[in-house]
Amino acid sequence: MKKSLGRTTTLFILTCLVFTVVLAGCGSNLQSKTKDGKELKEFSAFFAVPGKLAPEDNRILKAIEEKTGVSVTMDWLTGQTAKERIGVLIAGGEYPDFIDGSDGTQQLVAAGALVPLDDYIDKYPNIKNYLGSDWKKMKNSKDGHIYFIPQFGNIQGKQMNVTHNGEAFWIQKAVLEWGGYPTIKTLDQYFDLIERYKAAHPTIDGQPTIGFEIISYDWRYFALENPPLFLAGYPNEGAAIVDKKTLTALNYNTIPEAKAYFKKINEVYHKGLVDKETFTANYDQYISKLSTGRVLGMVDQGWQFLDAEASLVKQKLSERTYVPLSITLSEEVKGRYQHNPILNVNGGLAITKSCDDVEGALQYINDLLDPEIEILRTWGQEGIDYQVDKNGVFYRNEEQRANAKDPDWVLANTGSPLVYFPHHEGMTAKGKNTMDPKEQPDEYIATLNEIDKKVLKAYGYKKFTDFLEPAEENEPWFPIYTYNFAPNAPETIAKQKMDDVKRKWLPKVIMTPPSEFDKAWEEYQSTLKQNVDIKAYEDALTKEVRRRVDLWG
Amino acid sequence: MRSSEIILDDKQEKSWLKYNLRRMRSQQQLLWMSIPFVIFICIFAYGPLWGWLMAFQNYKPGVSFFEQEWVGLDQFKMLFTDPDFLRVIRNTLAMSLICLILGFVGSIGLALLLNELKNVLFKRIVQTVSYLPHFLSWIIVTGIVADVLSTETGIVNVLLTKLHLISEPINFFADPKYFWGIVGFSSLWKEIGWGTIIYLAAMTSINPSLYEAASIDGAGRFRRMFSVTLPGIKSTITILLIINIGNILNAGFEVQYLLGNGLVQDVSETIDIFVLKYGINLGNYSFATAAGIFKSVISLVLIFMANGFAKSIGEERLI
Repeated sequence: MKKSLGRTTTLFILTCLVFTVVLAGCGSNLQSKTKDGKELKEFSAFFAVPGKLAPEDNRILKAIEEKTGVSVTMDWLTGQTAKERIGVLIAGGEYPDFIDGSDGTQQLVAAGALVPLDDYIDKYPNIKNYLGSDWKKMKNSKDGHIYFIPQFGNIQGKQMNVTHNGEAFWIQKAVLEWGGYPTIKTLDQYFDLIERYKAAHPTIDGQPTIGFEIISYDWRYFALENPPLFLAGYPNEGAAIVDKKTLTALNYNTIPEAKAYFKKINEVYHKGLVDKETFTANYDQYISKLSTGRVLGMVDQGWQFLDAEASLVKQKLSERTYVPLSITLSEEVKGRYQHNPILNVNGGLAITKSCDDVEGALQYINDLLDPEIEILRTWGQEGIDYQVDKNGVFYRNEEQRANAKDPDWVLANTGSPLVYFPHHEGMTAKGKNTMDPKEQPDEYIATLNEIDKKVLKAYGYKKFTDFLEPAEENEPWFPIYTYNFAPNAPETIAKQKMDDVKRKWLPKVIMTPPSEFDKAWEEYQSTLKQNVDIKAYEDALTKEVRRRVDLWG
Repeated sequence: MRSSEIILDDKQEKSWLKYNLRRMRSQQQLLWMSIPFVIFICIFAYGPLWGWLMAFQNYKPGVSFFEQEWVGLDQFKMLFTDPDFLRVIRNTLAMSLICLILGFVGSIGLALLLNELKNVLFKRIVQTVSYLPHFLSWIIVTGIVADVLSTETGIVNVLLTKLHLISEPINFFADPKYFWGIVGFSSLWKEIGWGTIIYLAAMTSINPSLYEAASIDGAGRFRRMFSVTLPGIKSTITILLIINIGNILNAGFEVQYLLGNGLVQDVSETIDIFVLKYGINLGNYSFATAAGIFKSVISLVLIFMANGFAKSIGEERLI
C-alpha cells in the first residue's frame, strides 16, 4: 500500500514536470519573426477600458509589425470595472509591459507600479515633439515625475471635428424644418418651438410625441444636474465653475442660473412637455425611446445616444436625428458648449516595472508616432484603403467607404487597435489631410445624407459643429473635473453627499406644482447646506485651480 | 476519600483518552480524507479574515502591510455617526423582512397546493414554470419589472386603466411608497418556485398512512394540509428560517441598485449600496471592510438568537 502510494506520487510529480517543460518549450518556440528574418520584440499591453480584440492577422497590425519589429499582445477590460481589475493586478504585483489604467491609474501610481519616464523622453524625438510644452502638465503633483503619455486630444495643425460629441441641447432636424429653420439661442425659444411642434404633431408614427427627455439613470445623471453650468456660459468644467478674476471654484448648484433653469423645466414639465418617466427610466428605456424618433429634444452629451441615432438612420428616419444647439439663458450670454481638446492629465499609456526593455518599449511608441506609420494607423494602406489624388489629398472610393462602414471588415483589416497608443489628432504631419478619414472635408460631405445637406444649407453651415460657437482657448486649469479626489478626504465625501442630495431633490423640485417651486427650491438649498460640507469641496477645488495656474499658466 | 477520587478521575481520563485514540485509529481513513477539506476551509474561510485588519487602518493599496497607517476604531465611528447609515439599516431590514415573509409564505403555500395535485404532468409544468425565473439574473429581472410597470406600455398600468380602476397611469418608480412592495414582489416572483422544491422534497417523506388515518377520521383536504403536511415539514421550515435569519442584513444589492433612482433613494438604499458609494467608489476600502465586519457580527448574533429560540421551543436546530 505504502509503496504504491509512493509510486503514484512520483508519477504525478513527473507528469507535472513533463507538462511544465513542454509548456515552457512551447512558449520559447513561438518566437515570431519578421519577413527579413529579424526576431520580433514581444510586448504585452493592457487597457482598462472595454475593447474589441483584433485578430492577430489584422492586415494593418501586420504591416506595422513589419515596420517596427515589435508585436504587442493586447488585452482589454471585460466584465469588471477598471479599478477592480487594476486592484487585482496590484495585488499580484505582475503587470503587462504597457498599461492604460483608466480609472485605476492613480492606484498604479500610488503602488509604484509605473516607470518614471522623465529621464528617457529626451532620447525619443517623436515623443518629445508629441508632448511639446504639455510635458510639464504631465508631472505628477506629488513627486514631479512623468508616469504616462496621454493618447487623446493631441491636436496637430488644427482641430477638424465634424460632429459634436459633447453636451448640448439637441433638437430634431424635422422640428427645425417645420419651424422654418429658426435661430434658437435661449431656453425660452427652445421650449417654445418644442411646444408648438408638439401641439401641431401630438403623435409621431402613431405614438404620443415626447417633448423633452433628461436621462438621470445611475452615473449618467450629469445630464440632469449640469445644464446650469452651460447656461451660465461656462465650458464643461464638470465639478464646479471657476471665477476667472479671483480664481476661486464655485459649486454651481446655488447660482441664480440654476434656479432659473430648474424653474423653467418645472414650468414645461407641468405643461406636459417633459416625459413623465424621465427620472425613472433606465438607460435602455431612454435609448429605445429616442430610437422611436418621437422625442423632440433633450439635453445630453452627444456620445450618450450614438446608438439611438444609428438606429434612426437605419430605420430611414434621418429627419428624426438631432442637431446640437448652443442654448443659454439670454442672447447676451455666449455658449461654450465646444471646447478645445484637453490633454487628459489623469492618465495615459504607461510602462510598468514589469517591463524588461523600457527603452525598446519607448522606441516602439516613438516609431508609432512616425508620420508614415500614423497614416497607416488611421487611413490604412494606400490603394487598398484609400486613394491619393495628384495634389496629395487622400480620398476613398465607394468600395473603400463601404468597407470602412462595416465594423467586422474594419476589425479584421484595419480598425487599428493601437488607438490606445499615443497618436495625433487633427491634421497629418504635412498638413494636407486630416488624421481621421471621417473628418476629411470632402469625405465628410460625400457621406452626408439628403436631410443633413438640406439642414446645413438652410443655415449656411458646412458641418454640424457650426451650430455651436467655435471653441475658445482653454483656461489653464480647464477642466477642473479632472481633479483627483483623494480617498477619504472631506471634499471627496462632500462630493458624494452632494450627489445624493441632488439626485433626490432635482426631480423633486421639477415635479412640484409650479406655485410651490420657490418653497421647494429653498428647501433643496437648505438641505444642500446642511448635509454637505460645501466649503471643503470648494476650497479643495480652488486650491487645485491655483496650483494649476501656477504650474501651467 | 480525596485521593481515591483523584485516582478514579485519572483512571477515567485515561480510559477516555484510550477510547478516543482507539476510535480515531479505527476511523483513520475518514480522518485522513477530511484533512484536505479542513485545509481548504482554513485557506478560503479563515485565511481571508486576515483582511479584517484593514478596517482598523487607513488602507492604501500597493503599500506594504507594515507601512499602513493604523487608525483604531475611526472607520467604525465614521460608519455609526453617518446620518444616512441608520436610514440604510432600516431599509435593509425592512426589505429583508418583506422578502423573507413573502418568500416563506409563498413557497410553503405553493408547495402545499402542488402537493395536493394528482395530475403529475400539470404539477411538473407548474413547478418548472415557477422555478425558471430563479435562473435569470437580476439585471434581466429588473428589466422585465421596469417594462411591466412602465407608465406607457406596462401591462399593469394598461390593465388598471382598461378596468377603470385608475384614471391616470401610475408611475410606480417615482413614489417611494411603492418601492418596497415592488422589491418584495420581484423577489417573490423570482424565487418562489425554487423555494418550493425543498418543501416538496420534505413532504415526500411524510408517511402516507398518516393521511389515510386522517381521512378515515374525517379530515378534509384543508384539515389534512394543516394537521399532517405542515407539522411534517415543520423541522425543515425551522432550519431554513434560522439560515435565512443569518442573511437578514443581506437584503441584496442588485435589485435595489438597478431599480432605484433619485426619487426613491431614501427607501431604496441598502447597506451594500451605501458601502459601494462611500467605501469602494471613494477608494476607502477600510470603511467598506468595517461595514462588512459590522454585517458579519450582526448576522452571527442573529443566527445564535434564532438557534437559541428554536432550542427553547424544542425545535430542530442548526447548531
